[in-house]
Amino acid sequence: MNFLVVGFGAAVGAFVRNEFTLLQVKIKIDFPIITLLINVLGALLLGVLTAQIRSGVLLLLLGTGFCGGFTTFGTFNMELSQLFFQRRFMACLLYFVLTYLFGILGFIIGIRI
Amino acid sequence: MKRLKVFGLLLIGAFIGSNLRYLESLVFKPQDGFPLGTLVANLSGALVLPFLIHYLQDRYHLSTNTILTLSTGLLGSYTTFSTFTADSFRLFQNGQWWLLFWYLTVTMVGGFLVALLGNYWAASQAFNDWSKRK
Repeated sequence: MNFLVVGFGAAVGAFVRNEFTLLQVKIKIDFPIITLLINVLGALLLGVLTAQIRSGVLLLLLGTGFCGGFTTFGTFNMELSQLFFQRRFMACLLYFVLTYLFGILGFIIGIRI
Repeated sequence: MKRLKVFGLLLIGAFIGSNLRYLESLVFKPQDGFPLGTLVANLSGALVLPFLIHYLQDRYHLSTNTILTLSTGLLGSYTTFSTFTADSFRLFQNGQWWLLFWYLTVTMVGGFLVALLGNYWAASQAFNDWSKRK
């Protein structure tokens, strides 16, 4: 039963992430700002959910499922490696610092709201 | 209609990816509370994604739909950033400083390194194929 809940939550999360990702080509900024936004927003939301929700199943659906499927670690690191191979070291470092700093900060703010 | 198709493809990928991660979080569950499951999912996913995009895609002429299912859907949902922040906060709150230190270090440095490794893996496989054809 749990795997249906996780899978459905993640599918909606992945769909919303994909809608966000489509915006990256429309904006004219040559920096993976959309993935940054996705990961920070997802961490913030998971913080809020962790603090507010007591039901285990609901947390599986929205936390493990939706937030887990919405945020991504693979794409983030692939974009980091791309910046590295393009020899854009400052952008690479900036992306690394901004993601981890605002990601963890986002979760803490979320859980304290 | 196109959106419905995208949702269908992502549903398949995300269903498999998220449940693999969920399964790993249940299997890799050390007594001390170290989030080994998330770590294993994140590092393996970050390794395979560049290999998929830079090697498998060309090698097997994967369609846009297949790539959407496997990369955005499966690997995107298999790896997670939000759970990483939640795990870190939990270790911080419990005062498990060493575990927190190792978790942050291995995720942050390891994630970047395996992504680089995935790119080299893809390039070396492509080179091997090319030399065999000669």
